[in-house]
Amino acid sequence: MFRLRACAHDCPGRNGGDTDSHATLADAIRAIGSGASPAADGSRPGAGPPPVEILCCPRGGKCIPGKKPRHQFFVNARATGSGGDGSELAPWWGLPTAADELLRLHRAGELDLDAGQLLRLSHREVFTASSLETWKKTKETIAKYVFMTMALVLVIPVVAILAYILVKAWPVLSPSFVLDNPRDFMTTGGIWAPLVGTFFLVLISLLVAAPVGILAGVYLNEYARDNWFTRTINLAVVNLAGVPSIVHALFGVGAFVLFAGMGRSLLAASCTLAVMTLPVIITSTREALAAVPMSFREACWNMGASRWQTIRTIVLPNSISGILTGVILQVARAAGETAPILFTGAVFFTPVPDHGLASFVPYGLGDRCMALSMHLFTLATQVRGVSDELQYGTAAVLIGLVLVVNSLSIGLRVYLRSRKRW
Amino acid sequence: MSEATTTAETPRKKSAPISRLINVALDRTEPLVEWLIRLCGWSAILFVGAIFFFVFREAVPVLVGGGAEGDGQFDVQEFLTSQNWIPSPFKPADAQYGILALLLGSLAVTGLAMLLAVPLGLGAAVYISEFCTGRTKETLKIVIELLAAIPSIVWGFIGYMVLGPVLIELTGAPVGINLLNGGIILALMSVPVIVSVGEDALKAVPDSYREAAISLGASRWEIIYRVLFPAAKNGLLAAVLLGVGRAVGETMAVLMATGHAVQIPGSLLDPVRTLTATIAAELGDVVAGGTHYRVLFVIGLVLFAVTFVVNLTADLVVKGIRSEKAR
Repeated sequence: MFRLRACAHDCPGRNGGDTDSHATLADAIRAIGSGASPAADGSRPGAGPPPVEILCCPRGGKCIPGKKPRHQFFVNARATGSGGDGSELAPWWGLPTAADELLRLHRAGELDLDAGQLLRLSHREVFTASSLETWKKTKETIAKYVFMTMALVLVIPVVAILAYILVKAWPVLSPSFVLDNPRDFMTTGGIWAPLVGTFFLVLISLLVAAPVGILAGVYLNEYARDNWFTRTINLAVVNLAGVPSIVHALFGVGAFVLFAGMGRSLLAASCTLAVMTLPVIITSTREALAAVPMSFREACWNMGASRWQTIRTIVLPNSISGILTGVILQVARAAGETAPILFTGAVFFTPVPDHGLASFVPYGLGDRCMALSMHLFTLATQVRGVSDELQYGTAAVLIGLVLVVNSLSIGLRVYLRSRKRW
Repeated sequence: MSEATTTAETPRKKSAPISRLINVALDRTEPLVEWLIRLCGWSAILFVGAIFFFVFREAVPVLVGGGAEGDGQFDVQEFLTSQNWIPSPFKPADAQYGILALLLGSLAVTGLAMLLAVPLGLGAAVYISEFCTGRTKETLKIVIELLAAIPSIVWGFIGYMVLGPVLIELTGAPVGINLLNGGIILALMSVPVIVSVGEDALKAVPDSYREAAISLGASRWEIIYRVLFPAAKNGLLAAVLLGVGRAVGETMAVLMATGHAVQIPGSLLDPVRTLTATIAAELGDVVAGGTHYRVLFVIGLVLFAVTFVVNLTADLVVKGIRSEKAR
């Protein structure tokens, strides 16, 4: 950085030896105006010339300039003419103007410099970023990276953990692991029985929840008027989605196992799961139906079709994929749940046939069954001597199952969006 | 009605007679179907009512009668203020049912989880909504959605098998499954709902607000801080509340990750026990109809009430935004 040296009124005289020293402040300012300073060069392309500083030094004394200048002015060294007020937003036009204005200010006694104080004259072109704007930009960049870190902190460890589980599970993952039943108090063998159990739990809960949920979605979007009753239903849907899974389990025990007399069975567990996943289906069905343009319905009504005919022939076919998305999500959720089936139908272990057709349908509606999520819980906390690989393998299969089903739903949604015709 | 039927059938002349019959049958049964649809529509209310009714039905004998003779006493005041949770299956008469420690355990785990999840979740929501575009945005949203899909039992497994040993290594705690472990796991579990609801809330701020702020020379950070946060504060609050609701009600993950010791937590590395985990751990071993069994249902009622209030508040807060916007 280039510095002019000057002396304020109270310290006249030259500082010996320094060619850029001037006796008085006025002399220093005139030196700027004459263009003798490097400020006029503009030798660095793009960046503009460096700032000029006038430093007040008492004779013979040491000058230690402070960091912050006492006065800060701006000049557009490349401009000509006269104008500007020396501020950041309106720099003076050209060095001569700057010198004139500075001298005027000096005469008016506004440029008071004590020993060691600085007057800085910076080059600035009008349409370049001011220091305020640069600071704003910096803050924005900082904010961006902070927020990005927050998002990554959520995503990266989880992806890493999932990868870790897969790596730990790799040794046992094989077709026989999936197709074998658990053996020797579950310390060896595979996961066939729990897998089939989960399949039936999900299937039956789907058979119960899907019709009710879809029709409820139809009611809310096509029939319900906007009144207090509909608002109550919406509120109930929201709250049903928010009820803790363990409370659903208590409900299942109270209502299905005891009151309805199902006992602890596949059916009771499936019904509990169905109630739990109902709001997912209702909400997504309603959204899918709401996406069908009103004009479709109006056109259909104009043809003389009744409300149900319209729904059946126009609304449902046009929203079927959206509804399916919700149903698939329900499948994923039901497959992973543990608490609701813990006391309503799932058991730690139940012997099932190893071979033949019976191994595909090992459970009746009234039987207790095994489930994959429950099996993972059992392996991890209830049974001693289970190898890590077996536990990680079970976890990996469960995660894989849920993620595949979910990806299906996401894929369907993306496909839909790309094919949307209205 | 008959005209309507013909109209609907006209383009289907070529279809097989059976499907035509089905069509006619479906049209004729319209009143029946409409009633079925109504009934299903009301089912949500029905089920919420039924959940309350059946849980209450199992709990009511101890709430009113104070427990069966010689099977442990239940007293509402003791239930809420005592920190002794001693079910004592072999000497039921000596059993004590105080949920204070469990309640504080639930509060501590949820609080810690929210402390971690709210800044991270809202930050991620802001990043996705305001800084990302195109493919990055879609990818991040899908990853967050997949996070939400991971079953709670898997989260519990991660806390128990993966995070526990890591915590022992890092902090020197005697047990790896403790308050901190549960808090981290719960935070990761409740983040997806916070992110997605928070992002919806930010998306719901009209673009004209952003454009007005840009035209005044605001940077993106200033838009977020001075325009979006105030405008979307209700939606963001709802996001936080829904996260709280998720965390309070979570069962399997906290059962496996928190260490399950009945005590009022003194430090981050103490094992704790929550209300939900208590039910999950003990309901399998109790005698149906006994005091212990019924007390577990009372805890269920408490949980139901808490999540009901939290979700109701969240819903009202969201409704608040909608009506404001309509004005």
